[in-house]
Amino acid sequence: MKRRAALQLLGAGAAALATRPWSPLWAGAGTSSDDFFIFIHAAGGWDVTLWADPRNETKGLVVPASKTNTDVGQLGHWTDAANGSFEILAPGDSALRFGPGIGNLFDHRNRLTIFNGIAMNSVSHEDAVVYSLTGRHRTGGSVPAASIDVVVANELGRNQLMPDVAIKFGSHYVGDNLGAHAIPLRVTSVEEITRSFARSDVVLDGADRSRITALLTDEARQLAGGSTHPEPYQQLAVQHAALPRLLGGDLGTAFDARQLQAAYPQFNYKSVVQGNLAVSAAFAVEAIKRNFVRCVSFNLGGLDTHGANYRQHAHTLQELFGTVAIMLQLLDATPHPTRRATRLSERTHIVVLSDFCRTPQINMLGGRDHYPNNSALVISPRFRGGRSFGRTDDEQLLPVEAGRFTDGRRAITPADVLATFLGAFAIDPRRYMRDGEIIRDVLV
Amino acid sequence: MIGEAALVGLVGLVGLGGCGRPDVVEPSAPAPLPAHHAFTLDATPKQHRRMVPPEAFLRAYLQWFGGLAPLEVQRRAKVDGLFDTWKDYLAALGLPDYQVDTPRMTESNTIMLATLGRLAEALCVRAVEHDLVAHPPIDQRAIFAFDEPDGDLTLAAFTPRFDVLHRTFLSYPAALAPADRAARFYALFREVASHHAGGGALTPARTAWAAICTALVQHPETELY
Repeated sequence: MKRRAALQLLGAGAAALATRPWSPLWAGAGTSSDDFFIFIHAAGGWDVTLWADPRNETKGLVVPASKTNTDVGQLGHWTDAANGSFEILAPGDSALRFGPGIGNLFDHRNRLTIFNGIAMNSVSHEDAVVYSLTGRHRTGGSVPAASIDVVVANELGRNQLMPDVAIKFGSHYVGDNLGAHAIPLRVTSVEEITRSFARSDVVLDGADRSRITALLTDEARQLAGGSTHPEPYQQLAVQHAALPRLLGGDLGTAFDARQLQAAYPQFNYKSVVQGNLAVSAAFAVEAIKRNFVRCVSFNLGGLDTHGANYRQHAHTLQELFGTVAIMLQLLDATPHPTRRATRLSERTHIVVLSDFCRTPQINMLGGRDHYPNNSALVISPRFRGGRSFGRTDDEQLLPVEAGRFTDGRRAITPADVLATFLGAFAIDPRRYMRDGEIIRDVLV
Repeated sequence: MIGEAALVGLVGLVGLGGCGRPDVVEPSAPAPLPAHHAFTLDATPKQHRRMVPPEAFLRAYLQWFGGLAPLEVQRRAKVDGLFDTWKDYLAALGLPDYQVDTPRMTESNTIMLATLGRLAEALCVRAVEHDLVAHPPIDQRAIFAFDEPDGDLTLAAFTPRFDVLHRTFLSYPAALAPADRAARFYALFREVASHHAGGGALTPARTAWAAICTALVQHPETELY
């Protein structure tokens, strides 16, 4: 290479580094194995104009929420605006702006990191959920990458009794570099966990079961030793070895739905949409408190409002974020199970994701349909609170360029959000993800 | 080139046809479609290891324990709180639940093992009650197709009986398994029987047979068919 060309290349590289606000390298914040993770899927696709990307003016395609399309009676943060819509919440102590759906989470606004204008390129629930949770679209019918909970469990959950519990959550265990410990324990309700681990002692008892699982663990290890493909036997050995701790303890009673409701009366179990699902939040707190889990993933839904049920959408959001707010309060009040003088909230990281957002215009049925834009919420000590990143255009509510990435200026994608989250824990996203770059602006 | 006269004739014919009685398809009795050669195309992806479908496990369970219908299994296993309903365990068994839009599992996990273990234990206890307590003729037994010996069970007496269960659940003779397998299961038998020497719902030996059955149903080789 000639000297001039080399200097030009060097100069171009330096200029690129100087103007790029984020690094393609991963952040390296220090891996820790006593952090806990809660991933929440706000199922159905949320109306971001009611919370993270508030709109209260009719402009372009945007028809804001108003008293004619929304039941506002029970919305704590709804204040009438002159045009019939709502007043945007713009607290003086934060750069964030909110719509009335934020509910009680508004009180924790300085702990929230919000991604707006996430380009989804999808309006299909099946595809968009996979995209939000893995950073990849479906290829045909299959899922090409592991979901975020599985990746975190693989990296940080090795020594945990239940590294990843997924309650009605779209966990996907995909990839060659995942350990057997990261296989999600996927159930459709908390009760399913307690039922699966519950046993009658009428004939065999806990001591017998421990003997049986010890024998089966040995058998699996022996078979793995003589097998050309030992992985399935090794996987079964790990799983059998974990069983005595799960079957022998008080899991059956501690995670019983009624016990959880009694232990955590703060959650609203009678709420219209999230009531039954609030038990999952109570389970998350209890399982983390007992140091049984590394990741708990669950679903808080009821947001797919295409018709007249849109009138309740803001209220459903308020319930959803209210549940998150109660979780935060409980984590604030609970000591960390293994660290002295540390609150659980200091080592617990919450991510709330949805399929996509809803159309800026109201449809013929009075609801909003699917729209290829999205927002995401992170509550984590590793993230800068009270910040948002990314944005949408004023007239169409579509993602616009958020900055310069290695592949040029573009809007952010779910892969960027997930890569940034992994980067916050010094996990190299490239081990698991094809796409996505770490956005260092939002990291502490 | 068509001549003018021919063209006029053709137009005339078409016109006559149009004025004629419309075709009517007479109704007839439906006849079965002719048979075709049918073959099954296995289009499942093979590029990765994949789990045996949970349906295969469940079907095996149903066949082992007397060719029962799923609801019959549920009814029998529910007694004494040994099991609940199939619906309570769809995801835990790895099955898809289309009501809540969860796909089928692609890997086994501890909850799945625990759930299958719960079912296995329930069915084994029922099988002991049916085969060893009720004591029907050997050919009418579901699992324990042998008689219990009088007195203590020695390894020599245990091995052929264990072989019956081994052939049932693992589909091959115990003699072809790793050399110490019968001895290891015999040790389990002795430990469980000794643990229940003080008495219980079943005799110590029958409780131990229930444990052997439960272990074989969940054996790694059984689960990896």
